[in-house]
Amino acid sequence: MRRAALATGAVVVLGWPWAAPRYFVFLASLIVINAIVAIGLNLLSGYTNQLSFGHAGFLAIGAYAAAILTIRAPALPVPAALLAAGLVTAAVGFALGVPCLRLEGLYLAMATLAFGFVVVEAILNLDWLTRGNDGLHVPVGHLGPWALATDTARYYLVVAVAALLIVAARNISRTRTGRALLALRESEVAAQASGVHLAAYKTLAFVVSAFYTGVAGGLFALVVGFLSPDSFDVFLSVDFVAMIIVGGLGSIFGSVAGAAVITTLNDSLAGFQNYRPLIFGAILVASMLFMPGGIASALRKIPLPALARTPGAVRPHEPSRIPRQGDDA
Amino acid sequence: MITRAIPLFLLVVTLGALPVAAQPGVSDTEIVIGGSNSFSGPLAYTGEQITRFGVDLYFRVVNDAGGIHGRKVRTVYYDDGYRPQDAVANTRKLIEQDRIFAVIIPQGSQPVLATLKYLEENKVPLLFPYQSSPETRAQRYVFQGMTLSDRSSKMMIDYLAGPRKIKKFAALYQDDEYGKSFLTAFEKDLARFGLKLVASESVKRGVTDVSAQVAKLQAAKPEVTFLVLVPGPAAQALKERQKIGWTDTLMVSTGPLTDERYLALAGDAAEGVEGLSLWPDPATSDLAGVKLYREHMLKYFPKNEPNRYSIAGYFAGTLFAEGARRAGRNLTRESLVVALESVRGFESGILPPLTIGPDHETQKQGFWVRVEKGRFKPLTDWLKSE
Repeated sequence: MRRAALATGAVVVLGWPWAAPRYFVFLASLIVINAIVAIGLNLLSGYTNQLSFGHAGFLAIGAYAAAILTIRAPALPVPAALLAAGLVTAAVGFALGVPCLRLEGLYLAMATLAFGFVVVEAILNLDWLTRGNDGLHVPVGHLGPWALATDTARYYLVVAVAALLIVAARNISRTRTGRALLALRESEVAAQASGVHLAAYKTLAFVVSAFYTGVAGGLFALVVGFLSPDSFDVFLSVDFVAMIIVGGLGSIFGSVAGAAVITTLNDSLAGFQNYRPLIFGAILVASMLFMPGGIASALRKIPLPALARTPGAVRPHEPSRIPRQGDDA
Repeated sequence: MITRAIPLFLLVVTLGALPVAAQPGVSDTEIVIGGSNSFSGPLAYTGEQITRFGVDLYFRVVNDAGGIHGRKVRTVYYDDGYRPQDAVANTRKLIEQDRIFAVIIPQGSQPVLATLKYLEENKVPLLFPYQSSPETRAQRYVFQGMTLSDRSSKMMIDYLAGPRKIKKFAALYQDDEYGKSFLTAFEKDLARFGLKLVASESVKRGVTDVSAQVAKLQAAKPEVTFLVLVPGPAAQALKERQKIGWTDTLMVSTGPLTDERYLALAGDAAEGVEGLSLWPDPATSDLAGVKLYREHMLKYFPKNEPNRYSIAGYFAGTLFAEGARRAGRNLTRESLVVALESVRGFESGILPPLTIGPDHETQKQGFWVRVEKGRFKPLTDWLKSE
């Protein structure tokens, strides 16, 4: 059953550009990019309970890093540019993570909020590098002999990178590091007592989260093709938080689902941006009230007796799930 | 499950691969056009007026009279809030999903320039963008709207340094393509008179506090200070000048800024301001086209005051309709471009007779105005920029 669902999912994802109109290929790329950001943010918030309202800033750093690299070094292959974007952003994440460790809850949220504003101002004022308010045209990226000139090519790039990052995120959550992070979320005191270095692991979560968002930023630059600082505003950061809350804290599937819902919603509200914060606020409040575990745990609640009884649906490979706070036991 | 998914998927693929209508946005009964514009942010009022009360006003009139060659015109707009990156996404949505025939009157130099390459590659006409950067010149599918900054600058400097004999100029400009394109043009035109800007100060897009810049400009003692801003910060600059009692400079607004909205924001601080006006006074002019515009506004949107923005949109609608009529029943993007290039001595009753040549510019003139008791008083006849 699980395999069939995964296979269907893979067929749909890989076949999408051949079935969907051009705009929906572009939109699907945006959804996948936002899903990467949401997964990155979830590694931070879902595992260590640190909420960030500055991820639009990380996305901007990744996007500008990749764009400037592609402009200055047109021969650079796309994966190298993306990796560089991720590393630059991770370095900034480290620099921000160290002082922010001393903060908790609301104060951390405020520090990250301020960080988002600082990034936009920095981009505006570094106009010899970023062209400030004039914005930056991102040239077509190259992968060996191929130019990523079509929406379909860029879509496959985005999907391939996302697949890698999803596998990595799953693995992180199953390693010693992942268990340490989970322990931190459950109880900082207990975790420290069992030998988990609080500061080191919290910083690590911040750095990994920034890396994911930086790579997503690089992809964003390539897919959208134009960057201007005013679009990386605080509302975008709030969108990312909305994605993981609607999708489900601490769940990779939830991150993807949340990204899909919020991105599609944003796109269909393109005519009325004035009402956007109102509608998003309502959705956030509603999902916290009625669906506290997000889409991921809401789906788990739906009984699937008919499906479970399907012949051939043996479940010997079902991984054992570590029970968590968000889960409905 | 997977065996059921595959045929379904193949069906979707087949449907997606079916040929689509030959000319996007044109059916037997309808022409769909649209654009990304500001419905939020610093230019929200302008955006609303040029589109819903300008372009749409004219097409209400056209549609009620039977449309263009039997086709009604429908418009679609999305909000970019003056953010270039959002304008790119909106424009892609309009072209690829809503399949509009042409882009009409999108607003702002940066948002428009951000979409320029994409539109040209996809051969989509970009009609009468509400912006003044000359970067949009020399493109096959672009027809300019507003008088471009180098032409505006030439008229302004020729008039001020010529008959008015002014020697010391300064500029307060928006720090992006809109502001910089004016600044470059001012410097070039002043050089013809052997002059230079004595000071120039920039304002970031979206910022409204301009007190530091105004204080610095005052120290340079210019006779004329150009305002190359959007209405919010420009009104703020006028109020700031009044507050610090800086009276020995003449504030001059550029074409995109010379309008009633900016006046209303500045109140009595706007008294005596001069500027280059690109439109006859929409509320008082006796020109036949302007009177008709007021009648239409009264009929369809009686609560909306006539203003320079909505008349610009109304004029854009007029020009599109003229092009589409000339293109005939077989309307394509190519035939529209050819038809617009063939416009000769077109009488709109709003602007002087219009001939669109190979340069695709639809506005090349302006006239000098001064604010007296809250309205613009014309000081010259149409000035020429050629």
